[in-house]
Amino acid sequence: MNQVGSVGLIAALAFAIYGVVAGAVAGKLRSPRMLKSAQRAVLGFFVMITVAVASLEYLILTNDFHSAYVASHSSIALPLMYKIPVLWAGQEGSLLFWTWLLSIYAGIAVWMNRRKNRQLMPYVISICMGVGTFFSLITFWVANPFTQLSLVSASGTTPFTPADGNGLNPSLQFHSMVIHPPMLYLGYVGMAIPFAFAMSALMTRQLGDNWIRVTRRWTMVPWMFLGTGILLGGQWAYHVLGWGGYWAWDPVENASLLPWLAGTAFLHSVMIQEKRGMLKVWNMVLIILTFFLSIFGTFLTRSGIISSVHAFAKSDIGPWFSVFLAIIAAFSLTVLFLRLDFLKSDNRLDSIVSRESGFLFNNWILLAAVLAVLWGTIFPVISKAVENQTVTVGPPFFNRVMIPIGLLLLFLTGAGPLLAWRKTSFQSIKRNFTIPLIFAGVVGGYLFWAGIHRLYTWMSLFLCAFVIASILGEFYKGARTRMKISKENFFSAVYNLTMRNTRRYGGYIVHLGIVLLFVGFAGQAFRFETQKLMGPGDLLQAKDYLIRCEGLTSGQHANYTYETAILSVTRDGRALGEMRPQKRVYMASQEALSHIALRTNLARDLYVVLAGQDPDSGKVLIHVIINPLVQWVWIGGLVVLLGTILALFPSRVERQMDEIRKTQEEALEAHHVL
Amino acid sequence: MKPITSSRKLLRALILSLVFINIATAAGSPEQVEKDIGNNLYCMCGCVTALNHCPHENCPVKSEMHKIIRTDLAQGKAEPAILQDLVARYGLKVLASPPTQGFNLTAWILPGVGLIIGLFAAITIVRRWRRPALAPATPTAPMDDKVRAAVEEEMKKFGG
Repeated sequence: MNQVGSVGLIAALAFAIYGVVAGAVAGKLRSPRMLKSAQRAVLGFFVMITVAVASLEYLILTNDFHSAYVASHSSIALPLMYKIPVLWAGQEGSLLFWTWLLSIYAGIAVWMNRRKNRQLMPYVISICMGVGTFFSLITFWVANPFTQLSLVSASGTTPFTPADGNGLNPSLQFHSMVIHPPMLYLGYVGMAIPFAFAMSALMTRQLGDNWIRVTRRWTMVPWMFLGTGILLGGQWAYHVLGWGGYWAWDPVENASLLPWLAGTAFLHSVMIQEKRGMLKVWNMVLIILTFFLSIFGTFLTRSGIISSVHAFAKSDIGPWFSVFLAIIAAFSLTVLFLRLDFLKSDNRLDSIVSRESGFLFNNWILLAAVLAVLWGTIFPVISKAVENQTVTVGPPFFNRVMIPIGLLLLFLTGAGPLLAWRKTSFQSIKRNFTIPLIFAGVVGGYLFWAGIHRLYTWMSLFLCAFVIASILGEFYKGARTRMKISKENFFSAVYNLTMRNTRRYGGYIVHLGIVLLFVGFAGQAFRFETQKLMGPGDLLQAKDYLIRCEGLTSGQHANYTYETAILSVTRDGRALGEMRPQKRVYMASQEALSHIALRTNLARDLYVVLAGQDPDSGKVLIHVIINPLVQWVWIGGLVVLLGTILALFPSRVERQMDEIRKTQEEALEAHHVL
Repeated sequence: MKPITSSRKLLRALILSLVFINIATAAGSPEQVEKDIGNNLYCMCGCVTALNHCPHENCPVKSEMHKIIRTDLAQGKAEPAILQDLVARYGLKVLASPPTQGFNLTAWILPGVGLIIGLFAAITIVRRWRRPALAPATPTAPMDDKVRAAVEEEMKKFGG
């Protein structure tokens, strides 16, 4: 199977190289035959990478420890549900997985555009296959997952197969870890498609409405996956790392946030181009930046150039990625520079106080956030290079810098929809802002009275109230108009309003999700923690919770040994039930991992960790954290996801427009015009 | 003018009062001070997490670092002096954020500078957008030479 996988990789590399050439030739000569050939190269690339992925999965599932990758990341006792993710647990496998996802994305893009965007597709294929060439090259050449183990002696090398493997990193043996990396990768990889469409639009000078419409959808999909991946990563950290938090500003976490922020900026500024024909160059810059940061994120995650809690293997792929990043920057900026004359604005700004300038300031804040996160993430490397000094840039830095930026962004989330396109009069501002500001003022006053005096926490919740009032106001105003015109009841009016303009109202739901996320973040200011060595009968008071240790048990699982503390919890004298935090020691790696116990509701989480054991007394160290409002982070993330799906869903008008465009494209194709 | 001045004063007073309340509520018990210091440090065992969040059971480095903090607190040292002691022992990397001196100051300054430059850029763009167009944007407006050449090239291909 190692040989089959290697052959799959070589063949995929050959198809990718051919796809680059065939796509470019098809674009240059406008040859439908060459385009068809390039499309088949994409199919071949997908099939061959799938063969390589299937080979590696086969090796993992059959415990073939002759394979160096399987021996390093799997073991016989590893449960099946954790054997499948072994594919992306290590450097080599994850790069193969990246390439496979790219082949799927490219295949879908080709299939969906088999009868439309015929002028854009040759270069789209060429660029996708260019990215595919790079990834299949490093997967084959630098980080090959099909390397076999052998013993080197004076008489030569002999094949070696260990009896068992090292096993999967225990911290990865968690349910959300099974889907977290694929989600993140779907986000990173997917950004290649809008980049390819944007570059193709520049190269073919097809810079009308079409590329922007296509690219927006192709950006929203990976943006959604990236956001979901980030959220699942947060859940994993919360449940597995045992410190009661979901975000630590770790370089690898930041690497996923960067393209998400840049993509968010693009998804907003693209609306100005669609509505007003402005910001054309800027949108190109944003799409280039988003893709660049996606590759940069993969590089940061996989090269190990910056110390991270995510203990990925350090490797020598760094220089390869540096060259690839330089190629992306040089190629895209050159193409953009050569087409600047085609990207002039169609319109001028009618007023400074308008939706357009609101979007521009939104972009300003988002890009400032990108700069701050990027700078903080790479600063240790820069400091080492300039001063030969090792410094750490952790949560205190990012919290100080990013909280004000986040609050500004939150304000714009609420203010933006209240501004009209072209020009907003003073009367209109007064009319639109009054109710949200009054509502926020009432909520803010109540919070202050209730004892919330920390500036950032108070401001965050005040702005959340402002944004909620602003968004609900938009739904209400729209529904009221429909109720008058169509004589619908309120709920039908809200439903029809949303479905008629899924993009706008889906966007508002996304904003609502962001508000809920901020509510969850604000709860961190009221976090409480305490710890105590406990044996049977010992009590621990954590605010209004009383925790009693009922006993300790230990045992053995197929994959690990464990020690469990049995705790009974009461709150204000009312019994809440048992909690069983656990400490596991995984057999293959002998690594210990806490398995937390959690009682959760919308107001707060009671988070209990078995943090250690005193060898003298045999008592266990119980760490208790009371984490307010954490559930709102997960709910907010879910609302963002649902809003994005809604915004992706084409409205009735969009579906009709798509039909008309398809008919036009087919008519053009009938005349053999590529 | 008067109402604007009053509202500005009111806003300023509100912001200042919130800042003072924030500062006033920030102080805490010795355990809280130790925890706060721990949040500003990284554990030097190699876990790459804040001292308070080191995931290792019975981590000797974590215990040693906490011991230094407690000893210093018992001697009445303030947070900067305690941090200095830890830097002397472990190097600058023990701090969870770069110090605000020398080259490391740029870590703190650059995001703010970027924010201000970005603001000026946004304002400049908005102002440029507002300038009246040199020629009216009508279908009869003269076409850029490069665009004209490209259109002609396209037309030839369609014609051919």
